[in-house]
Amino acid sequence: MGEFLPRPAIAPAAVWAFPAPIRARLSNDIELMIFDLPGQHVISAHLVLDVPLNAERRDIEGVATICARTLDEGTLRHNGEEFAELLETEGAGFGVDLSLSGVQLVLDVPASHLDRALELFAEAVTEPSLAGRDVNRHVQLRLAEIEQAQANSAQTASIAFRATVFDETRRAARMSGGQPETVREVTPEEVAAFHHDHFGPAGATLILAGDFTDDPITVAERSLGSWRNVEQRRVMIEEPTPGPRRALLIDRPGSVQADVRFGGFGIDRLDPRWAAISIASYAIGGAFLSRLNAVLREEKGYTYGVRMNFGPLRTGGSFAVQGSFRTDVLVDALAITRDLIKVDDAPFSSQEVDDAVAFFTGVSPLRYATAEGVADQAATQILAGLPDDYVDRSLALLRSVTPEAATEAYRSIVDPDELSLVVVGDAEQLADPLRASGFSDLEIRSPALDQ
Amino acid sequence: MWGMTSGALTGLGYPIVQHTLDNGLRVISSPDHIAPSVAINIWYDVGSRDEEHGRTGFAHLFEHVMFQGSAHVASGQHIGLLQAAGAVVNATTWFDRTNYFETLPTGGLDLALWLEADRMATLLEALTQENLDNQREVVKEEKRQRYDNVPYGDVMELLNSLTFPPDHPYGHTTIGSMEDLDAATLDDVHSFFRRHYLPNNAVLSIVGDVQPEDAFERADVYFGHLPTGSKPRKPEAQPLEPLSGLPRAEASGQVPAAAAYFTWRLPARGGRDFDALDLALSILGHGQTSRLHKQLVRGSEHAEGTGASAMGLIGGNSFGFSYARARDGVSPEELEQEVVEVIDQLLTDGPTEEELRRAKAQFERHWLHELARVDSRADALGEYATLHGDPNLINSRIAEITAIGDDEVHGALEQWFRPDQRATLIYRQEG
Repeated sequence: MGEFLPRPAIAPAAVWAFPAPIRARLSNDIELMIFDLPGQHVISAHLVLDVPLNAERRDIEGVATICARTLDEGTLRHNGEEFAELLETEGAGFGVDLSLSGVQLVLDVPASHLDRALELFAEAVTEPSLAGRDVNRHVQLRLAEIEQAQANSAQTASIAFRATVFDETRRAARMSGGQPETVREVTPEEVAAFHHDHFGPAGATLILAGDFTDDPITVAERSLGSWRNVEQRRVMIEEPTPGPRRALLIDRPGSVQADVRFGGFGIDRLDPRWAAISIASYAIGGAFLSRLNAVLREEKGYTYGVRMNFGPLRTGGSFAVQGSFRTDVLVDALAITRDLIKVDDAPFSSQEVDDAVAFFTGVSPLRYATAEGVADQAATQILAGLPDDYVDRSLALLRSVTPEAATEAYRSIVDPDELSLVVVGDAEQLADPLRASGFSDLEIRSPALDQ
Repeated sequence: MWGMTSGALTGLGYPIVQHTLDNGLRVISSPDHIAPSVAINIWYDVGSRDEEHGRTGFAHLFEHVMFQGSAHVASGQHIGLLQAAGAVVNATTWFDRTNYFETLPTGGLDLALWLEADRMATLLEALTQENLDNQREVVKEEKRQRYDNVPYGDVMELLNSLTFPPDHPYGHTTIGSMEDLDAATLDDVHSFFRRHYLPNNAVLSIVGDVQPEDAFERADVYFGHLPTGSKPRKPEAQPLEPLSGLPRAEASGQVPAAAAYFTWRLPARGGRDFDALDLALSILGHGQTSRLHKQLVRGSEHAEGTGASAMGLIGGNSFGFSYARARDGVSPEELEQEVVEVIDQLLTDGPTEEELRRAKAQFERHWLHELARVDSRADALGEYATLHGDPNLINSRIAEITAIGDDEVHGALEQWFRPDQRATLIYRQEG
């Protein structure tokens, strides 16, 4: 029917580069990175603090999160609700993001309101009230948030997986926001002390991206340039190490699906194998027609989607095959997964490598076309210790990966027989078949005992 | 020769040029050369409100089938080919729409248009029972993963049925029921495709690194030969009166906190009364300075979370809702009473000038964010062209919202938000 046109070829992609920042320093040595992005009317501001989560005392882990979340509950100049009202009247949004390598405080605001909003943002960061009642409430809200996470199958699986893949003595093994038993111990005094000891200009970077109506350097200096903290303490980031391999089934009676994490300890972006493993993991479980998704979703209909993810940290990292499968096919899905993630007899093809390179190259201009996308990436680079031209360099490295290099890197990191398994599902239906399918060392936990 | 119309440049100034192909396909171009990328987004004017009795969930199942190949594309290759061209690809189904979209380097524009046109023209030639069965299973896994296996996963369905009659187009959810998904046949796919997937029932938006003349020419090359069909009749959209009789339901589940939910029928989107209520619900429950947060989270500390929002719909009525999740030791009844007091207080007082200003400022940021990306801008253009007949509205939304007066908010609350005009769902912890 109709006229048939042959499938069009793809025209070569235009040259593209990640935007280069203008760098400057505020008078208190805060490093400033400015990205001037015409047409981006919402400014994205990220203040990246060099506060790794291992700066928290072991018995009060979660204190950094509670501290960050209480910042916008009032300042010395604007008490309580008044502060949030002023910020919202400027059309601004305030957010926090805590990762193992540092704390990010984020402001989004229409360009014409940047000056006033950044002034308020600076108040929250440098002179928050951290009132006892607000701290205590955020402790309770964090505990409620943990309960919500524990009721969620996918989140339970992710929490258990990090506790498995990293050595239990390391901060990386535990939730960034703290575990219930440590969050409960966080007091207003500890929060104030944490802010006093660790929040300061030393080692901080302010990223500003968007289409500015005023000179961003002047605006930044006016809001944050006078911040001082002579007693600020800097803490070296801790390196995570792998935990022992194990197979864990967390009982969730009555679940209609089982959530799976199957993986191990990984590498970071500075590892020479990073480009090769990015391509390999895309071919195994990143693309829609990846080896895993093509079979488990498109052929078998066992899942809405299955992926292999690599999560790099400042040093080291983790990787996992992850997905959620209806209970009665879980064991078969895992058996198929174990076959598909072996590449000994099925090395990566040049087509797989080409497709991965084309994908990563193609999505970059879009991903970094907004103020938010650029500022997020710049912050990621600061926290991971990467150079300003990291995106361009890594795309160039990707283009140089050969199928042999991808296969070799993958085999050196992913040993299918040595991976840890976490399944969250109905143990009554799953325990025996899982043991029979090769996980003879399966440990079973009820969620109540997991904490 | 293209019969272009120029965008009304009031407020924001995103360029918008429209052209309709001879077969009725509306094409919208918005050039933006900031990155060498282009976003393609096709809105088909069909959603779960168009589903027939006993076939809930079908529009969404059909969306999945659209990725199973067409005359010249093998199953799964639609996404496969586009990802290998550097594209981000997906589709969504909702009450009022099904849309398909990809964003990729400009050099792949022809491929994307060819793929979209091939399935619009020849989907049925490649359809097999096996493909339908496979995607039925995938969709059932999606339902399990997103609804059946998560706490509070049944809330949306319960709220829908409290707010609209069962046979109303909005009386069931987009994900549908397992039973109806099981009942779907190849014949259903055939007739649904023939009825709804027509060039004259679609809007194609092309946003990014391509000039309008070029975009229209390419659209004509790939879509111009597709035959026009008779435009499907939309379901009955007589506006319903506000809720009455205080409908109420209870549910329970293995949830970490009890919760109370409230819903309202609102006027259809597109009028000042809906915008006024959208602002009112924002004042009630959006963000840290909203009334519910101040009273229940920060004040009495009886809730761990609160919220309120208006979901704009086009078929006669929209849907408004609000919720609170209880802190330990607070009963759902206490929670309900406290939320109701805050809701009724909003009607009695009306919003303050400050509250209204904040809600408008938050809307502005949200809207600027939405339009900042070429992909979400393409989606917004398709949305406003499909539902309101005018994509230029994306440039005037901020001005429209800013113009809403406090008297209008109060008037709309009086009409739609009186204490006897809501429904209530109490969600209890099991065991």
